[in-house]
Amino acid sequence: MSGIFGALIVLTLIKATPLIYAALGGVISERSGVVNIALEGMMATGAFTAVIVSYASHSALAGLLAAVLAGALVGLVLAIAATRFKVDQIVAGMGINLICSGAAAYGLVLIFNQPGASAQVPALGRQYWLLVLLAFALAVALQWVLQRTPWGLRVRACGENPRAAAAAGIDPLALRMWAVTYSGMLAALGGAFLSIGELNLYSDGMTAGRGFIALAAVIFGRWNPLGAAGAALVFGFFEALQYVLQGRIAWLPADAMQALPYLAALFALAGITGRVRAPASDGVPY
Amino acid sequence: MTGSAALELRGIRKAYPGIVAVDDVDLTLYAGEIHALVGENGAGKSTLAGIAAGERAADAGTVTAAGTVGLVHQHFELVQRLRVWENVLLGREPRKGMEIDAAAARAHVLDLAQRNGLQIEPDAAVESLPVGVQQRVELLRELDRNPAVLLLDEPTAALAPAEIASFFATIVQLAQRGTAVLIVTHKLQEVIDYATRITVMRHGRVVERMRTGETTVDAIARAMVGGELPVVAQRRPTQPRPCLRVRMPELTLDVNGGEIVGIAGVEGNGQTALVDVIAGLANAEGIVEIDAGDRPNLGIIPQDRQTEALVMTWPVVDNVILGRQSILRHGATIDRARAIADAQQIEKQYDVRAASLKTPIRALSGGNQQKVVVGRALIDDPALIVAYNPTRGIDVGAAALVQSRLIEARNRGAAVLLVSFELDEIFALADRILVMYRGGIVGEIDARDDGARAEVGRLMAGAR
Repeated sequence: MSGIFGALIVLTLIKATPLIYAALGGVISERSGVVNIALEGMMATGAFTAVIVSYASHSALAGLLAAVLAGALVGLVLAIAATRFKVDQIVAGMGINLICSGAAAYGLVLIFNQPGASAQVPALGRQYWLLVLLAFALAVALQWVLQRTPWGLRVRACGENPRAAAAAGIDPLALRMWAVTYSGMLAALGGAFLSIGELNLYSDGMTAGRGFIALAAVIFGRWNPLGAAGAALVFGFFEALQYVLQGRIAWLPADAMQALPYLAALFALAGITGRVRAPASDGVPY
Repeated sequence: MTGSAALELRGIRKAYPGIVAVDDVDLTLYAGEIHALVGENGAGKSTLAGIAAGERAADAGTVTAAGTVGLVHQHFELVQRLRVWENVLLGREPRKGMEIDAAAARAHVLDLAQRNGLQIEPDAAVESLPVGVQQRVELLRELDRNPAVLLLDEPTAALAPAEIASFFATIVQLAQRGTAVLIVTHKLQEVIDYATRITVMRHGRVVERMRTGETTVDAIARAMVGGELPVVAQRRPTQPRPCLRVRMPELTLDVNGGEIVGIAGVEGNGQTALVDVIAGLANAEGIVEIDAGDRPNLGIIPQDRQTEALVMTWPVVDNVILGRQSILRHGATIDRARAIADAQQIEKQYDVRAASLKTPIRALSGGNQQKVVVGRALIDDPALIVAYNPTRGIDVGAAALVQSRLIEARNRGAAVLLVSFELDEIFALADRILVMYRGGIVGEIDARDDGARAEVGRLMAGAR
């Protein structure tokens, strides 16, 4: 039995890591007042970019850095749409999701000459454990930044009442722009972990709704970095559980088992409805 | 005593689509003076203050200030979920290494408050504070920047009478130390009591400049309106009969047909909850009974016409239907001909200025929108009328008309519950005055008694 439990713990950490990165990205964006429904697309961008750059440069590390840069770029697109052009943030986020997953699918054909999945590329190998540790370290760091530093206070002020922040001499638009850009970088890092951390390829649809589960973790964690990371661990646990149980419970179809993490997210959100309060200006253009 | 010019506005102009809000305005503020900027709603006062504070850009003209210009907003711009010191020092946080030095911040805010004679708890969450204290937070935020000029937009609108006196004590002290203060207000007695000079605006222009020693409240009011003041209808003797009966754990209320009962109180003391319960918008423990006789039950004038009373994109006619569907029902459909006739009647009786009844109501001025709301509430001659700040944000002419229609409804035997944050309005209209404080009714005063005003003021501040 200890073998199963050990596997469950290890697998939980691995499955939670991409969710933690994306959830931290969601927290930073939403605390500044921009709803980030584009986490899914940002993860896909990170996953795909990591693979093609790793493929071209034969360096997984270069792939990782490129993924972060690409995430920053997608974050910037959402940021500019949400701040300068005051596009509805949900619509802009959905648009980004569609474009990113579509572009990745097209890129597979263009670069690897095959639909569905990429060729195998250099991956991080056992170094991915550093990324697991980094996820937890970042959760602690972001908590400290938001609660203790001047920049964090300003981010929180902009998410609550950007007009008050402006009256205090802060530029809410610039601040939101940075926050959403960081958000893209974090989510893309989570995506890269999926493709060149856990695996060594990109396959179409590999993010599989993890951006939305991360969004649920943001809410379940009450928009706090540590809370969101904790919620990501819970959802990661259910994803791990699903793998461990597969084949062990004969009467339960595998498809039903795979729904486990999504059901967990659904029930978690249903359970806390009405008891959490989003930043007051979350999703409201300034 | 006044000193050198602290703020000079020259030829300021600002236009919005369809309206020139500020038109070629000159205004000079001197160090150490308290200057009042008065005018009706929509005269351009707030726009001018926003331009002076650099919050919006003028289309033309120049703003010259001798230092920083601080603005205390009518609707405070505070971050509700942050603490007092976080709000005051936002953007200028003291640091210790990479972190905010919270201890230094607290000490700084306490010191600042003390120097200005203000009581404040630096660690309190702003959302937990009463409105008057929240205003202190916003004032402290502006004072921390050592402004040469302090602009106050309707600073006493949400304060109890006792709070108003202590607020002005602080302001007078500031002026004595050399700050130029501009008060944007419509409370003319405060102008006479505290200001030295007065600038009157009408339709975006400066129409008169006065000194307080040489003028009266009436003269200022006439300058604001640009003519004689409108007369409000007279009340006539009525036969009271019971109409509204409210029995709740914390509150007992009876309103008779043929009387206007005024609910006085500072904003946020349970007035909204009371109105919602009577209007059937919220449930509460207790009894709410309306004895309407053969009239329709209830006509309601909600507090916020734009969000609670009207669909802004709908034409006037459709807004006149809203809430009266059962009255206007004709088989399975709405009797549109009658709705149009009703809208025309309101247009005539209330002097509604609209290009057409098919115009979206958002194209009408606030005063005209409010006339439609009041007309709709009264057109079916209901037994009970609930009027929540019925003249808020509309000009004197429209306000007099609304008040007259309420008194006429009372004269016809309607029970009127008037909830207002304006004591002047309560005293102008009410037969009986009840004071609300922290969700309960703490006293009843006969409006004709000597010293009724002082007593109401005391009760509003929570004195027993």
